[in-house]
Amino acid sequence: MKLILKTRMITALVVGLTLSQAGASGPSLAQQPEVGLSVTKTAFEKIDMLMDPLDVLSGGLAAVTDADSLQAVMDRDLRFSGLFSTFWSDDEVPGEAALQYTIEGTVEGPLRDQRLTGEAQPTTVSLNLLTYPERQLILNKRYRPLPDQMRATAHHFASQVIEMLTGEPGLTMTRIVFSRGSDKRRDLYAVDYDGANLLRLTANRRLNLCPSWSPDGQEVAFTSYRDGQQGLYGLDTATGQVRLIIALEGLNYGADWHPSGKELLLSLSHVGNPELYRIRPDGTQIKRLTVSPSIECSPSWSPAGRDVVFTSDRTGTPQLYIIDSDGAGWRRLTFYGRYNESARWSPNGEKIVYATREGDFTQVVLMKATGEDRRVLTDLSWRNCEDPSWAPDGRHIVFASDRTGVFKLYVYDVVEDSFRQLTFGSDPDITPDWSR
Amino acid sequence: MNFRWTSPGFFRNASVAMVIVLGLGVLFAGCGKKAPVETDEPLPVEETPVTPVDNTPVTPEPPKEDPKPDYSSMDPQEFGVEDVFFAFDKYDLDGEAMSILSRNARILREADVLVLVSGHCDERGTVEYNLALGEKRANAVRDYLVSLGVPSRNLRVTSYGESAPFAKGHDENAWALNRRAHFERP
Repeated sequence: MKLILKTRMITALVVGLTLSQAGASGPSLAQQPEVGLSVTKTAFEKIDMLMDPLDVLSGGLAAVTDADSLQAVMDRDLRFSGLFSTFWSDDEVPGEAALQYTIEGTVEGPLRDQRLTGEAQPTTVSLNLLTYPERQLILNKRYRPLPDQMRATAHHFASQVIEMLTGEPGLTMTRIVFSRGSDKRRDLYAVDYDGANLLRLTANRRLNLCPSWSPDGQEVAFTSYRDGQQGLYGLDTATGQVRLIIALEGLNYGADWHPSGKELLLSLSHVGNPELYRIRPDGTQIKRLTVSPSIECSPSWSPAGRDVVFTSDRTGTPQLYIIDSDGAGWRRLTFYGRYNESARWSPNGEKIVYATREGDFTQVVLMKATGEDRRVLTDLSWRNCEDPSWAPDGRHIVFASDRTGVFKLYVYDVVEDSFRQLTFGSDPDITPDWSR
Repeated sequence: MNFRWTSPGFFRNASVAMVIVLGLGVLFAGCGKKAPVETDEPLPVEETPVTPVDNTPVTPEPPKEDPKPDYSSMDPQEFGVEDVFFAFDKYDLDGEAMSILSRNARILREADVLVLVSGHCDERGTVEYNLALGEKRANAVRDYLVSLGVPSRNLRVTSYGESAPFAKGHDENAWALNRRAHFERP
């Protein structure tokens, strides 16, 4: 994937290439949407979408509210992707923009007497994507959501639209898991990628940290002191059940799932200092990757699952290194700065994001996986910025910053070089991980 | 709670046993003195000392001269163990830390109680590296205490990294207080 910063000639399609393609045999620039639409826009030129108000066929005020909510969520989804501009009427469209597509649809809410039965009745939602102004139908989806499924419905249709027009599903169905709280009481929470739908995942009144989604999203591996001693646990995201994965003496942390979902990478310190290990999801060991008296921590798989980027302080300061999955071929990646940590490999394998210290503050840095083109994304007005994690689109990065005095999560758009705040409130939020 | 209750009970029983032993000693001393002289009168003589011996177990007097408090129910600070502090990004012990630890070692050898050494870092740097750094600090403290004769079975280590700071500020004063190895009840 040729996501070259500040290059104006890349097409919106190229920006959207997915993890699976990049993981195979390199980028396939010929990727086209199935409908064969010729989208040839630069990365900074967006697809212009008209949001046609949904027609409410029945269901009264409740259905009108649902229709508004559906449209508002889809609108945000399209804009947050960075690939679309949205307009709510032809009049708003500025001169240089040219509307290409429109979303329209109908909402049929349950009748009043059906509502009186007390049971939640589904609404029928039909959503269409059409060309504009020809109004040629490209995509039609019908849904039967219950009242609390409106957001999910909007996210799903937006995902379909984004995939159809850009070749990848976008982020609308993704979530971010993180640790919220202070001192020795921090619980795991998850939030939709747009900041909505905050859900608490643990409630053990202990320290819970460093969550990592499994590739299929069904389990979150995390480090917890729930039994006094530190251990790595797995949380079933459907049932909320927690199981022990491994709890050896010392540290059991920094887990990163292999792209196959069949193993995890983490630091264990039962031998006396943190070393990298590959383990199976049942906690049994596959391989120890490092043997040294120094600290080895914060491992992250390459998207192909063949290499590992991690931190070692073997030279006296924490620096980034790369090894292969057998632990061989140590290669130092960072030479600039005395503190480089928390590296995460981008979904297409070309870039690495990490945290560096500048003076008393930690900042987020993006560079090529070759170590070239180092660029600090944040500045000192952000105070400390830590724990960056990639969105699966390879374009957005979530990280924690205490710029307001308390750590909250922010999302950075690599292409537009812009930020938005993801979480709010007075409790510190740290160690985010974006689902795949 | 169960453990905290039984432990003082053990001490109490020990002192009760002492009283009984002492009482019996008096009894035998009395017997030894009188028995050889008058073989006919052991019974009346025996009665008087027997009564106090029977009474002693009934009065559950707390041990007045118990030399050893129940350390396992106390925070290590309460019996004189002090935390040690570290330089920025370091986990080696400086001279001050070593002198504090030799005092701690003396106390911990005497107390013979399990303590948890937790490593802490200041807020600078990352969560993950600071967990490792905190553990290095706790390990350095444990290893030094073991070298001074504290049984390793009495020392457990953990790390909270930067997650559980002692001082809340964002300046060097706070940071210096947060770079520490803390002794706590496990």
